[in-house]
Amino acid sequence: MLSVSEMLKMRDKLRKWREENYRNSEQIVDVGEELLNEHASKLGDDIWIIYEQVMIAALDCSRDDLAWTFRFDAILNDANKLYDSILQDDPTNTAARKRKISILRAQGKSSEAIRELNEYLEQFVGDQEAWHELSELYINEHDYAKAAFCLEELMMTNPHNHLYCEQYAEVKYTQGGLENLELARKYFAQALKLNNRNMRALFGLYMSASHIAASPKVSAKVKKDNMKYGAWAASQISRAYQMAGRGKKENKCSVKAVEEMLESMQITMS
Amino acid sequence: MASSFWKGVVGVGLFALAHAAFSAAQHRSYMRLTEKENETLPIDIVLQTLLSFVITCYGIVNISGEFKDMDASSELKNKTFDTLRNHPSFYLFNHRGRVLFCPPEQEPSTPSAQALPSNPLRLRKLENYH
Repeated sequence: MLSVSEMLKMRDKLRKWREENYRNSEQIVDVGEELLNEHASKLGDDIWIIYEQVMIAALDCSRDDLAWTFRFDAILNDANKLYDSILQDDPTNTAARKRKISILRAQGKSSEAIRELNEYLEQFVGDQEAWHELSELYINEHDYAKAAFCLEELMMTNPHNHLYCEQYAEVKYTQGGLENLELARKYFAQALKLNNRNMRALFGLYMSASHIAASPKVSAKVKKDNMKYGAWAASQISRAYQMAGRGKKENKCSVKAVEEMLESMQITMS
Repeated sequence: MASSFWKGVVGVGLFALAHAAFSAAQHRSYMRLTEKENETLPIDIVLQTLLSFVITCYGIVNISGEFKDMDASSELKNKTFDTLRNHPSFYLFNHRGRVLFCPPEQEPSTPSAQALPSNPLRLRKLENYH
């Protein structure tokens, strides 16, 4: 039996997981099951959204007793017909359209999913989730130019989000070529400006700067500048690892490992 | 959940404000009756109004919860890649979670699910969240 304060703590935890899109389904099922079985009356209006959250988590863990559903693939065709009928009644129902696209993706028909998602985005241009999903689909298809375009849309509407900057820089880095590498380095730097604790961006800055410096087509000044940026990034990385390892016994070994790794990542002209 | 103390403070402040308003109205009608309309409002009513206003404001600020930073990017400093790519409207369910997480009595015929040792990564995450 839980006390009221524990119930409040669990409810707040569920709310945090819901708002930050955590998909830790096992824990949600554990916490949610206990909450719903014992304190359903005290939750008030929150209960419906908690039901929804626990149901999705239960589907993830295939807890059919909890989710009251059948096996997923057996009902895919019925689901499709159901969504079509919903859309006939109400063509602006965005949730139904997104579920249809997910069905296509689950069936492996990614090019059709991409086409449908493009049509959806032509009508509902402001949907951040859909833009990000489209960029992920393009990355899976290795169509990096279009993925970069989707991420550019996201960056335009969320200029303060360092993660979009960083993902865009990673896509540009993957595309390769000198201009893309320079662009990647600039966006990694922008991500670091927005959040100086972003380790991935720091590593990305180091890699793109060393890559540019090692390229044979650059002028001497560009090479020197990039080696300076790379050296700065490397010093920041080792400092971050040293700060993180403070007070722990294995600090010396891990710092040495980081330095060796940075040296091995140096791109040398062969 | 604001503590009831601050709710009490807001209640007292609002009541004092209403009381001061009432007194001012009464004073006004008394002035009109005694035809001394050039006298200003007595200082205690003015003080009571100002004080109850300050008390109400302070109480409401304490009820309304945590303040957020003005800097838009500071809220995102703790956000990581783990959750960035989870879009709830696009969740798929045909992943291996069906076998990994299913309770043991449902699938007795799949030895691979049983042989799965307690996943150390999951346990570590559990400690972080709980």
